[in-house]
Amino acid sequence: MSNKAFRLSTARLTTLYVAIFAAGITVLLTSVYVLTSRVLDREVDAVIQAEVNGLVDGYSQGGLLQLIETLHGRADSWGRSGAVYLMVDAYGRRIAGNIARWPVATHTGDKWLEFEIDASEEGGVVAHPVRAQVFRLPGGRQLLVGTDILERKRLASRLRSAMLWGTGLCLALAVLVSYFYSQRVRRRITAVASTCETIMGGELSQRLDVEGSHDEFDELSATVNRMLDRIEQQTDLLRMTFDSAAHDLRAPLYRARVRIEEALQHPDVASSSREVMDATLTELERVQRTLGTLLQIAQADGRARELALEDVDLANLAREIVDLYQPEAGTRGITLSYEGSSSAVLRGNQQLLAQALVNLVENALKYVPSGGRVDVAVHSSEDILLSVADNGPGVPAEDRQRILQPFIRLERDRNRTGSGLGLSLVAAVMRLHRATVELLDNHPGLKVSCRFQEKGIRSTR
Amino acid sequence: MRLLLIEDDLQAAEYLVKGLRENGYTLDHSADGRDGLIKATQQRYDVIIADRQLPWLDGLSIIGALRQKGDRTPVLILSALGTVDDRVHGLKAGGDDYLTKPFALSELLARIEALSRRSSASATEVTRLQLADLEIDLLARRVTRAGKNIDLTAKEFQLLEYLMRRPGQIVTRTMLLEGVWNLHFDPQTNIIDVHMSRLRNAIDKGYARPLIHTVRGAGYVLRDEQ
Repeated sequence: MSNKAFRLSTARLTTLYVAIFAAGITVLLTSVYVLTSRVLDREVDAVIQAEVNGLVDGYSQGGLLQLIETLHGRADSWGRSGAVYLMVDAYGRRIAGNIARWPVATHTGDKWLEFEIDASEEGGVVAHPVRAQVFRLPGGRQLLVGTDILERKRLASRLRSAMLWGTGLCLALAVLVSYFYSQRVRRRITAVASTCETIMGGELSQRLDVEGSHDEFDELSATVNRMLDRIEQQTDLLRMTFDSAAHDLRAPLYRARVRIEEALQHPDVASSSREVMDATLTELERVQRTLGTLLQIAQADGRARELALEDVDLANLAREIVDLYQPEAGTRGITLSYEGSSSAVLRGNQQLLAQALVNLVENALKYVPSGGRVDVAVHSSEDILLSVADNGPGVPAEDRQRILQPFIRLERDRNRTGSGLGLSLVAAVMRLHRATVELLDNHPGLKVSCRFQEKGIRSTR
Repeated sequence: MRLLLIEDDLQAAEYLVKGLRENGYTLDHSADGRDGLIKATQQRYDVIIADRQLPWLDGLSIIGALRQKGDRTPVLILSALGTVDDRVHGLKAGGDDYLTKPFALSELLARIEALSRRSSASATEVTRLQLADLEIDLLARRVTRAGKNIDLTAKEFQLLEYLMRRPGQIVTRTMLLEGVWNLHFDPQTNIIDVHMSRLRNAIDKGYARPLIHTVRGAGYVLRDEQ
């Protein structure tokens, strides 16, 4: 879920980056193109204007003949300077110039026009675009002065294609860079997430990778690692304290029990004392059991590494336990049954799984009245699903999550025996095996449902 | 019978030594692993009882060293205090049985008895077991008493077979749970007793001489009391 949202956010960020970048590049290159071609156009027009001005000056000083002479003098200059001249009379007949007749314009403005002249070159006939200005002389005569703008057009088109390629390349580069960047971000975040998952699975000694690139990710990983060090230190301290406490409690309890057992073997113990001693033994045993269960919970929760793992057939285990408890259920008038898959193999600790199952079955048998039923089921498909359902009094919805915690018991069970640890052990064992525990309403009764999503403990060793 | 106890908790050891001697065993005691291994190699014992966590050399290493020398003496591992031990580790290392502290002396006695008999029992496959007029055919999975057929469920048959293979020997409830159901924990309720009373009903009901006997504070024994 978080992974998906993250992917979305990097993708969005990357796309946004590329879009902004593309817009910037396009605006920049387009203005360069527009400005450059405008400057070029102006230059051409200025040259033509200057030439027209020169010719007109000559005309006003030396008259028509002077002008014709000048034109004749320049007639052969086409091809060298690219200049085009033509003077026609009122009937459109050529008087002077270096082109044969008045051209057919491709584009006409107020006093400007553009046309094409075919010129033979090495590669064949090429159409040269020409830009020209027309000047009207007295007597209906017209003077056309132009210049070959082929080179300018070529420059403009080269500029345009350079601009397009540039934009395209920049865009491709932007897309590529952001793709690699987002891949890298995703890879590192996925690595962090999967390590965190392993740590949550009980491998408290795992650490995040620090690549040594001193970037923000390294900084984050290092900080998280320092946090994990602190957590591990505190967990170790807690565990050591707990272990020593358990050790120091178990040893004297054991000795007390042994002493009472020894004393009970004496033939001259009064029967009243014998009763008291028997009751004390029972109490001692209860305390020992509670301590044992606490140790089991602690182990399931924090010491996955020390546990022996094997392939456990949960269906078989459930059948054995149902078989074991069936006569006991029978004497209480309760129907205990098993149904489900013939086999459901997962990786885990057989002893803890058996204990969890026994706790669930014993719990159900404790609360179901005579005539009731307890159904154990194991179904194996993609996930393995274990459920123990009864039709007893059930548990109010608001208490269902609560009773998975240690020492939490329902008010109505205050006077019942039991440590209040049975379901906590179940929860711890299921956490260890990466199973989720749900307490559901069985209409009536309680249904405890455990779903093993990853077929038990992943082998990380 | 000669036993070696390797246990560093001196108070517990003292109690065990006393209890085992009272029950007719000859016993040597070592308080650390190194001394224990030396004793075990110098002298033949019928059963070695070793704590798992010991100074110098732990219980599993002792087993490893013995087995490497080809010494097959049965070893009973006592799991250390304060940690939830794993019998799988212990049995994989070559231990023959595993007992989690705290345990009742009767449980230890029953297991020592079982281990010493196991080592002396012949390895030949039996197909029939018999005690007094009770007979079971392991191949046909048939039970008869005084010639009369007795119908048993599969589990009841397994239970009876377990007892028939250990005639006259005390079996505890946890031994039955391990041997017949392959479950390793202390049942909180008397679930085994219900199974036994069913088996009793099938085997002993209506016969003058009961074969299944309850041993108070310990377990059961299958015995023909003359």
